[in-house]
Amino acid sequence: MTLPLVQINNLSLRYGNFVALDDISIDFMPGTCVVICGPSGSGKSSLLRCVNRLEDFGTGDVIFDGQSLKSAHNISKIRSNIGMVFQHFELYPHLSVMNNITLAPRYVNGINRDEAEAKAHKLLERVGILDQANKYPDELSGGQQQRAAIARALALEPKLMLFDEPTSALDPEMISEVLQVMRDLARNGMTMLVVTHEMGFARDVADEVVFMDKGKVIERNASGNFFDNPQSDRAKEFIDRVLQKI
Amino acid sequence: MNYEFDWSLLLEEPNWSWVIEGIANTIQLSLVAWGCALVLGVLIGAIRMSKSRTLRFIGTTYVEIFRNIPLLVQLFLWFFVFPLLLPDDLMRAWNRLDGVPFLTALIGLSLFTAARIAEQIRSGISSIPKGQFLAAYSTGLTEVQTFRHVIIPYAFRVMIPAIASEFLTIFKNSALTLTIGVAEVTGAAKTIEAYTFRGIEAYSAASLTYMLTTASVVIFMGWLEHALRIPGLIGKR
Amino acid sequence: MDFSVINDNIEFLMLGLMRSFQLAIFTIVLSLTIACFIAIGRVSSKRSIRYPSAIFVNLLRSNPLILIVFWFFFLVPLITGKTLPEFHTVLIAFVVFFAAYFAEIVRSGIQSVGSSQVKAALSTGLTYSQSMRLIVLPQALRNMLPALVTECVIVFQGTTIAYVIGMREFLHSTSLVAERTVRPVELYLFAALVYLVICFTGTRLALFLEKNKELAR
Repeated sequence: MTLPLVQINNLSLRYGNFVALDDISIDFMPGTCVVICGPSGSGKSSLLRCVNRLEDFGTGDVIFDGQSLKSAHNISKIRSNIGMVFQHFELYPHLSVMNNITLAPRYVNGINRDEAEAKAHKLLERVGILDQANKYPDELSGGQQQRAAIARALALEPKLMLFDEPTSALDPEMISEVLQVMRDLARNGMTMLVVTHEMGFARDVADEVVFMDKGKVIERNASGNFFDNPQSDRAKEFIDRVLQKI
Repeated sequence: MNYEFDWSLLLEEPNWSWVIEGIANTIQLSLVAWGCALVLGVLIGAIRMSKSRTLRFIGTTYVEIFRNIPLLVQLFLWFFVFPLLLPDDLMRAWNRLDGVPFLTALIGLSLFTAARIAEQIRSGISSIPKGQFLAAYSTGLTEVQTFRHVIIPYAFRVMIPAIASEFLTIFKNSALTLTIGVAEVTGAAKTIEAYTFRGIEAYSAASLTYMLTTASVVIFMGWLEHALRIPGLIGKR
Repeated sequence: MDFSVINDNIEFLMLGLMRSFQLAIFTIVLSLTIACFIAIGRVSSKRSIRYPSAIFVNLLRSNPLILIVFWFFFLVPLITGKTLPEFHTVLIAFVVFFAAYFAEIVRSGIQSVGSSQVKAALSTGLTYSQSMRLIVLPQALRNMLPALVTECVIVFQGTTIAYVIGMREFLHSTSLVAERTVRPVELYLFAALVYLVICFTGTRLALFLEKNKELAR
């Protein structure tokens, strides 16, 4: 029997009086691609940030690959096994694309510069922006920046990739080039947690969909079922609203 | 460290009178100088945005000269040099005036701070989006109307923190006038220390004056900013 | 007016100017270094670090430099039990005082970078201090360079305050010559001109950097 790669146990998170996550327990198996969706403020991004402890959670715990994040001494080491992609890319504007990618391998894993660059080279080829390697982030289009950010996250050969609304800040014509890269990743068996409003991606690529509202997981379903036959009323409402918008 | 505290000495004469006189002088000097600097600073700020090249040049020259010469040097110029450049009878009249140090300090502080305020005003107004001007002009407002009704009310709110911090700057800068003989609070503390060797007590009295004033101004300005805030512009929390 | 008096005393005056520069440069280097730590303390999530840094900064920023200099001239001999050379005492006072001002500049530089950059850096496994050193500070430095240069000009202007305790910097040298030769007009005008040229250059540099922020990559 395979063990879950991520195990979230009774996780709660509050900001002052606002309950962002309300006693969440959920597992994710290796090799699956899961889309997390829900209305804004439902806690999906908070949940994602708890998975690599960028958010200090109040109660509960996250077990990643058998290690408890709450009691982890070397959180940086664990984070280097979890790639993360942000809504606004968060490339480092003062570093070239190449240096954005090689920074963590060099400083976290202690790989020398040549080796790191050789690997970055391959990754840039994979995401299709090898020709942009020596440019600065500001000189790239949004889609190119996001692909560079994905390459940066992949550089540490993570076991898990977290995507936090990776296409929300993009112009429509650039969304597909980023989704294409994500689709390739899923096809190659990467474990992925994706917070997104791209319902097409959820339906076609994801194995499962998790629907959240008000800090709780309302529904978890195989992606086909989720769209054709949602279990909860709230999910039904949400799907109607989102699909209508497109 | 071997030091016996004796806070009561601050209450003894003549120390008590020195401190009180010092505080009074500091506050009086700063307030009057701030007022003068504000008027002059707004004037120069306006000159720097006028259409006339000559006026703009005069404004810019003023700002560059007065903010790039250290205040202490400016005080010396006003105190030691300025009277010597006056015609003989004027100089004699000046020297016979009461409170020449205070007057000199007032001139020096005001002119120095006016340059800083003019600069704040310029950057405050240039921080206003171009669209505001265009929108105002597009509705048929004249340039003067645009400034009067749109730009200045907007800029004023943006500049409140800067203008308040200029008061605090002038307040602290007024300490420098002890060098030309103004009996302000730092000078008073120095005098008490020289007579009694009780530096900690004496300087605490001065520091406390500055810190309490700073705190009150900061609190007052926080309140004022809140009261005048424009949603989404400043004072966002 | 007879400006030959400047020429006659130029060596003495320039010695003073060198002393002013020396004080300014030592002050800038030392206080900026300390300021980086205080600024990081100011944005720390731990109250036990954040509050003391805030108190340090606000304490010094609400006092005039001249009073801080007086404080240190009284306290340093009291604490160390001996009289240090006046240059050292002035330097200590200046470093402490300007560290507070530089810390605020560095802090706003750090805050201009934004917390998402820290999150991105942490997510790739960098430690907090690596994130600060490699990601935040280089960007912050670029954003705050104009403000830093402006503050350096203020430090240089501030060196005149060493006059008050009799250190022989440029203003003091000027006043000594002025008294000896009884030519205050020429000498103080000359001093003003020298300060004007130096500080004007500095403020122009700051303006240039502000307009060309992109260049400082």
